[in-house]
Amino acid sequence: MAKIEFKGLTKRFGSLTAVDHLNLTIPDKSFVALLGPSGCGKSTTMNMIAGIEEPSDGQILFDGSDIVRVPIDRRGVGYVFQNYAIFTHMSVYDNLAFGLQVRGLPKAQINAKVQQVAELMRLEDRLDWPSGTLSVNEMQKLAIGRSAIVEPSIFLLDEPLSNLDAAFREFMRTELKHIQRQLEQTMVYVTHDQIEAMSLADHIAVMNRGVLQQYGTPADIYSRPANTFVAMFIGSPSMNLIPCQITTEGETELLDVGSAGRIAITDDALRQAARAAPSRDVILGVRPEVLDLVPRAATGLGLQLEVDLLEPIGPRTVVHLRSGDTEILAVKDKRYGTQELEAVTAIPPQAACRLFDRRDGRVLGGA
Amino acid sequence: MSASRKERDAAAAKLSLEKEQRKLGNLMALPAQLLLVFIVAFPLLMQLYVSTTWWSPLDGVPWYMAYESWNWFANYSDLVQDSRLWGAIWRTLLIVIVCVPAQFLLGLGLATLFVDSFPGKTIFYTLLLMPMMVVPAVVGYMFFLLFQQSGPINDLIGVFAGGPAEINWLNDVNLAMVAVMIAEIWEWTPLMFLILLAGLSGVPEDQMRAARLLGANAWQRFWRIVMPRMKTVIIIALVLRTVESLKVFDTLFIMTVGGPGVATESISLYIYKRTFQDLEWSYVASIGLFVLVALSLLAGLGIWFMVRKSTKPAQVATAQQGGALALQEAK
Repeated sequence: MAKIEFKGLTKRFGSLTAVDHLNLTIPDKSFVALLGPSGCGKSTTMNMIAGIEEPSDGQILFDGSDIVRVPIDRRGVGYVFQNYAIFTHMSVYDNLAFGLQVRGLPKAQINAKVQQVAELMRLEDRLDWPSGTLSVNEMQKLAIGRSAIVEPSIFLLDEPLSNLDAAFREFMRTELKHIQRQLEQTMVYVTHDQIEAMSLADHIAVMNRGVLQQYGTPADIYSRPANTFVAMFIGSPSMNLIPCQITTEGETELLDVGSAGRIAITDDALRQAARAAPSRDVILGVRPEVLDLVPRAATGLGLQLEVDLLEPIGPRTVVHLRSGDTEILAVKDKRYGTQELEAVTAIPPQAACRLFDRRDGRVLGGA
Repeated sequence: MSASRKERDAAAAKLSLEKEQRKLGNLMALPAQLLLVFIVAFPLLMQLYVSTTWWSPLDGVPWYMAYESWNWFANYSDLVQDSRLWGAIWRTLLIVIVCVPAQFLLGLGLATLFVDSFPGKTIFYTLLLMPMMVVPAVVGYMFFLLFQQSGPINDLIGVFAGGPAEINWLNDVNLAMVAVMIAEIWEWTPLMFLILLAGLSGVPEDQMRAARLLGANAWQRFWRIVMPRMKTVIIIALVLRTVESLKVFDTLFIMTVGGPGVATESISLYIYKRTFQDLEWSYVASIGLFVLVALSLLAGLGIWFMVRKSTKPAQVATAQQGGALALQEAK
């Protein structure tokens, strides 16, 4: 039960800035994913919350009070390590009881609490096992239970699902969501897997090279990326980023995509974005799922493209389209057949499009 | 029927082939075994044989003729009544009882400091290991000089005491032992440090962090996470240093030659004197055997202790059961 705030949080390792002026508020009882590629500073941020690393600059506040000077063992932070850090020389029971034993609680109380947590984690029939003999999946549950038993106000999980086998990962994803709901704690969770982040978290903080790129709900981040990095990182296949130029013809703005033709802007928001552009060079972002493919038409509404190849991926088919240097992906239903459609017009629904500045990759025309 | 008979024949052939091979293997291992018998068993048996006679090199009789002065167990009954030997044994044990724990505690303390990195660590690390590299006789000589009546240690004490100190370290019955023990501790703390540091470094960092995040203080982390993992390493270090210390010789020989009187005479030093000053070789043989048996018992006790502590039968059983269940689940 704690709100976490970062104010200008910075961590430098020598000349490398791992986290750069991070400002972020994580609301109480929320489930937040720190998402980004390796080396983006997400783990460093988490280590700073836990107290394993000391910030070079800035503040971390729990419920409004700065905790940077609070030692690691008094922060009330539960931490599940990527490798689980199970005390393999102890039994499962002793692992669970550890946090209570070091607090000097009476034995009966410890016993009751361990039973309760073991039941929650479905480890009750493993209690007298040496913890080193557990399967990886059970170790994961033991690690979560061991942290949960001392009722930390903040729960940190470092890549909790990355060591699990694929089948169990699906199961554990829902399990984690249940656990978070039952524990009613603020959970922060580090991952490089965007699907994990999208499916688990209430909010996602996307980071790259130590800088926060975007913070929002999974849906928001997916459909309204704040820059080209987020657009590329989220979604599989990722958003189409099509370099184009803004031209005007009378009253209408057009997006010129070279040999693929031009698109007349009809959507108000997109027009505003185009007018806000500091230069004519922009990037049009459109999700492969929303692209409409129709037989070649001579209208100025879409891009004239040739079908390059089809890539069936189970329930869907990825259509690779090309015109000159422009490569565009579209995701269609698995029944999509283009034998007769060698050449198509791809119509991007303009309300679902984003325009980015080509120099710094930022979205144009506000959020 | 014929098929099963064929199988049986094949099995029999295989069995006889295995027998052949085993025979050949034994034959080929024979020279090595003979060599081992010659290296280990022969000296031991010779020692046992000589120890049951009055034989001495002064007799002018070759050792194999020692039976001429056969005395059964007279040397052993002498040994039991030899107060100088028992004194040497007591002093050796005293050195072990004082020096090994001191080396252990100092080594553990230093190792704890050296687990984390700090500026200049490599330099201190190298410096700390130096005493171990110095030849023991040289260590003896160094401390012989340091502990002279006009030596640096007295000078240093003089500075703190505010007047010249004239402690006669190596010629005082009690202080000589203190000086010798200090030299021993100085020389062998680095080995303890090295072994214990290796043990400490083997404690997973994440587990230490996890324990800390669960609220364990330094003391609790040490006893509940570090110690259980260090147990084997600690026992090995202690057994190693104990057995080595029981044989202490070089430092003593240079610093005091066991003196003043017999105040610092260890078992090895006593054996040395009886061998080369008194030339009582048969008696020395009996002492040697006696010490060997005693040391073997001690080592056996240590190993038994170690094995008993590290494998509890119940735990092994549950571990196997656990492994089997996990395997089933995986399938």
